[in-house]
Amino acid sequence: MSHGAADPTMHPEVQLSTSKGYFLGFAISAFLMLVATFLVTSHSVPPFGLLMVISVCAGIAVIAQIYFLLHIDISEHNIWNTVALVLFIPLFLITIGLTWWMFSQLYLRTMDMSVMSSVTNPAVHASAAPKMSDMPGMGSSPDSAN
Amino acid sequence: MLVDLPGGWSPLLGRLAWSQIPYANPILAPLFVAVVIGAIILLGLITYYGKWTYLWKEWLTTVDHKKLGVMYIIIGLVMLFRGFIDGLMIRTQQVWAVGPHSTGVFGSLHGYLTPFHFGQVYSAHGLIMILLAATPLLVGFMNIIVPIQVGARDMAYPYLNALGLWITAAAAALIMISLFVGDFAHNGWFEYAPIFELQYSPGVGVDYWIWTLQLVALGTTLGGINILATVIKMRAPGMTWGKLPIFVWASLSANVIALTSFPALQVALALVAADRYLGAHFFTAGMGGNLMLYTNLFWIWGHPEVYFVILPAFGMMSEIFPTFSEKPLFGYITMVLASMAIAGVSWLVWLHHFFTMGAGPYVNTAFSVATMLVGIPTGVKVFNWAFTMYRGRLTFNAAMLWAIGALFLLLIGGMTGMMLAIPAINYMVHNSVFVVAHFHSMLLVIVYAIFGSVLYWFPKVFGFKLDEFWAKTMFWLFSAGTALVFVPMYMLGFMGMTRRLEYVFNTSWQSYLDVMELGIVVYTLSVLAFFILLYVSIRDHAKNRVGADAWGTSRSLEWMTHSPVPFYNFAVLPHVNERDELAWRRQHGIDQVRPAHYDDIHMPNNTGVAIIMGGLTFVLGFALTWRIWWLCIVSLLAIILLMIIRSFKGDPGYIITGAELQRMEEEAYRREAQIADSHHSHPVSGGVVGNAMAYQRNDSSK
Ligand code: HEM
Ligand SMILES: [Cu+2]
Repeated sequence: MSHGAADPTMHPEVQLSTSKGYFLGFAISAFLMLVATFLVTSHSVPPFGLLMVISVCAGIAVIAQIYFLLHIDISEHNIWNTVALVLFIPLFLITIGLTWWMFSQLYLRTMDMSVMSSVTNPAVHASAAPKMSDMPGMGSSPDSAN
Repeated sequence: MLVDLPGGWSPLLGRLAWSQIPYANPILAPLFVAVVIGAIILLGLITYYGKWTYLWKEWLTTVDHKKLGVMYIIIGLVMLFRGFIDGLMIRTQQVWAVGPHSTGVFGSLHGYLTPFHFGQVYSAHGLIMILLAATPLLVGFMNIIVPIQVGARDMAYPYLNALGLWITAAAAALIMISLFVGDFAHNGWFEYAPIFELQYSPGVGVDYWIWTLQLVALGTTLGGINILATVIKMRAPGMTWGKLPIFVWASLSANVIALTSFPALQVALALVAADRYLGAHFFTAGMGGNLMLYTNLFWIWGHPEVYFVILPAFGMMSEIFPTFSEKPLFGYITMVLASMAIAGVSWLVWLHHFFTMGAGPYVNTAFSVATMLVGIPTGVKVFNWAFTMYRGRLTFNAAMLWAIGALFLLLIGGMTGMMLAIPAINYMVHNSVFVVAHFHSMLLVIVYAIFGSVLYWFPKVFGFKLDEFWAKTMFWLFSAGTALVFVPMYMLGFMGMTRRLEYVFNTSWQSYLDVMELGIVVYTLSVLAFFILLYVSIRDHAKNRVGADAWGTSRSLEWMTHSPVPFYNFAVLPHVNERDELAWRRQHGIDQVRPAHYDDIHMPNNTGVAIIMGGLTFVLGFALTWRIWWLCIVSLLAIILLMIIRSFKGDPGYIITGAELQRMEEEAYRREAQIADSHHSHPVSGGVVGNAMAYQRNDSSK
């Protein structure tokens, strides 16, 4: 808790950073983003594969950023960075997990799933699934929430 | 271009054209003239009195957390006033436009605002009140108080602090300029998909909304990082986590929320921008887009945000109650745990804003239960405050009145929140004015806590107290206004009046709307009382000077340094022995000790970079709104360049010598000695009294 360290560049957190690390982190993230953008715009991979590739790209980018840009490791003087990372994990699970859950429940009740798949894959359009109105418990369309 | 822009576009001016200036509007045009004249008078006065250098040196380039905090609060109060005028306009439209026989003026069929204009007014009202009034006010208080309460000389990152302020100011400027150049969003403060898509909202309103919010989010995140780092790294010697003042705990929990939740908003906004600028389909009704995904993303941020604004207000109440009950806060540990619990649970409840989406019984039940869980820690807090007052020696001054008012509103807002958290009830009253009344009760808790804090901490910052009579007058007028506006609003909500009506079809609601209009008139009187309060207090300031401990019963560290607080906060950092350090020292008779010896201290330099950067972000926001691409590129490059230059330059800071410090301190003590009721302090040698340590010792013990 000392205020003695007048020179902020002397802080251990700052000492850890090197311009090489920053550039590398930046380059890797930028490269992965370009790859993902290219794959999406060129439609060169089937939808499921695309999802997988993009997820992998995103995963690698996250790791690169955590390591090169945020310098998160589990050493003693980086304890608060680690705390922040650990805090982030439940939030990540909550937001993604609960969103996934609520929307899968929503689709169960409101979506004609064949329409959904036809968006990404026109070929499926022909084979119509049961109509929305045939589903048990389906009332009117969801009202525009909030 | 990637999207079909309706209307014209030119490479030089983007979508900007003379026709975008509403000079024919009977409300805006006179207002514009008034604003211009006011601005000219203000600038003229500054020039006449030769205050430009003072302004630039002392305020615009400052990195002093107290001055930045004061500027945050000024921005907040100005925007609170603007938002209040919007509220007045909404109430007046609704009381006027009731039933088919109501008259209309200014081109409106009923009332005086066209639906499009009315939509802009309530959208701006909501956005301004939550993000540009409440948030800057709270951030301002955290900025001023947290560093002093933890016994630091400034924030962890003084320059970043200034940057946060000026980016927030840029956001405020952007939404203000939307009054006179183009128009603002008209779809509500949180917007809806897909109506905010370019096809349905072709104007620049939604774009103003995107970039204003984006800037506030950025500014607030930077502020949040700073406060977290300050609390974690800059605490005075001896201040362990268990001795942290309660307001600091509240700020800590609030800023954990800010840091984690604002990115969700920024992502949501970026995706909206992608839709509107690049022709993407994240939130469209077709093409793989999903409109509810927007609502989902928005409230992932939106609910944590409401706790981001209420937690500091809880912290303020937790400071005011003990001081004016002359007792320590009841249940410190449970208070801390409750704050943290609220912060945690606030992440689990966001679906309660769209129960009616129809995600089904499992999802709705889960989120309903999670929402009700928030009531437990909130209840703990309410009881703690009640027990703090129980058998205390209560002083009902104005600050205490505001805090007690906040407590009552919290009960009302909390109870109605619980009702809303029950899906079966929610389906009945969702998007009715009942919801509006609920969250106004809650947001008024914040307003009450803020006015309480203005009274409570004003003497600390400026060295004199505000006038009690006018402060109490304002309180009672404000509370009468609150009752008159919001009791009928709850009732109308139950009767099924939906929110945001620019035309009220049901004539039997007229009398309720009349009462609410009366309420807003009373509110207006309280605003008047506030201006008189400021005037009278400043006029009589010489009579109301205070010493270090303005209330005589204060408990925490900020009351141990002079009032007004010197720019270095503490000449010698205090050593913290107990949780309520000042109360403890008073009890042990060492509250009047003075350091015997002053060491050199190190302070950060002022910088003009922050305000320039703020100006550039404003230009960037404006250019993005109007799609002036060359200006976007220029301002963005300038921002990046400036950032790089500043990073390489850094700030070596400067040294205040011990002798200089001693001179300033002695002057401050002399000034204090002239105040009638202040006691005289005497120096102690070596910073040690008895066997208690009063000051940080640089010589040996560290
Ligand atoms: C006891 C805790 C609380 C509970 C149980 C609660 C519950 C709710 C629920 C269920 C809604 C959704 C109503 C609807 O749209 O149908 C809601 C809306 C809202 N609440 Fe609360 N709330 C609580 C505390 C707060 C606090 C502390 C604030 C802010 C300081 C707040 C601000 C809001 C706002 C701004 C909205 C509506 C936003 C909008 O639709 O424009 N609430 N609340
Ligand atoms: Cu909520």
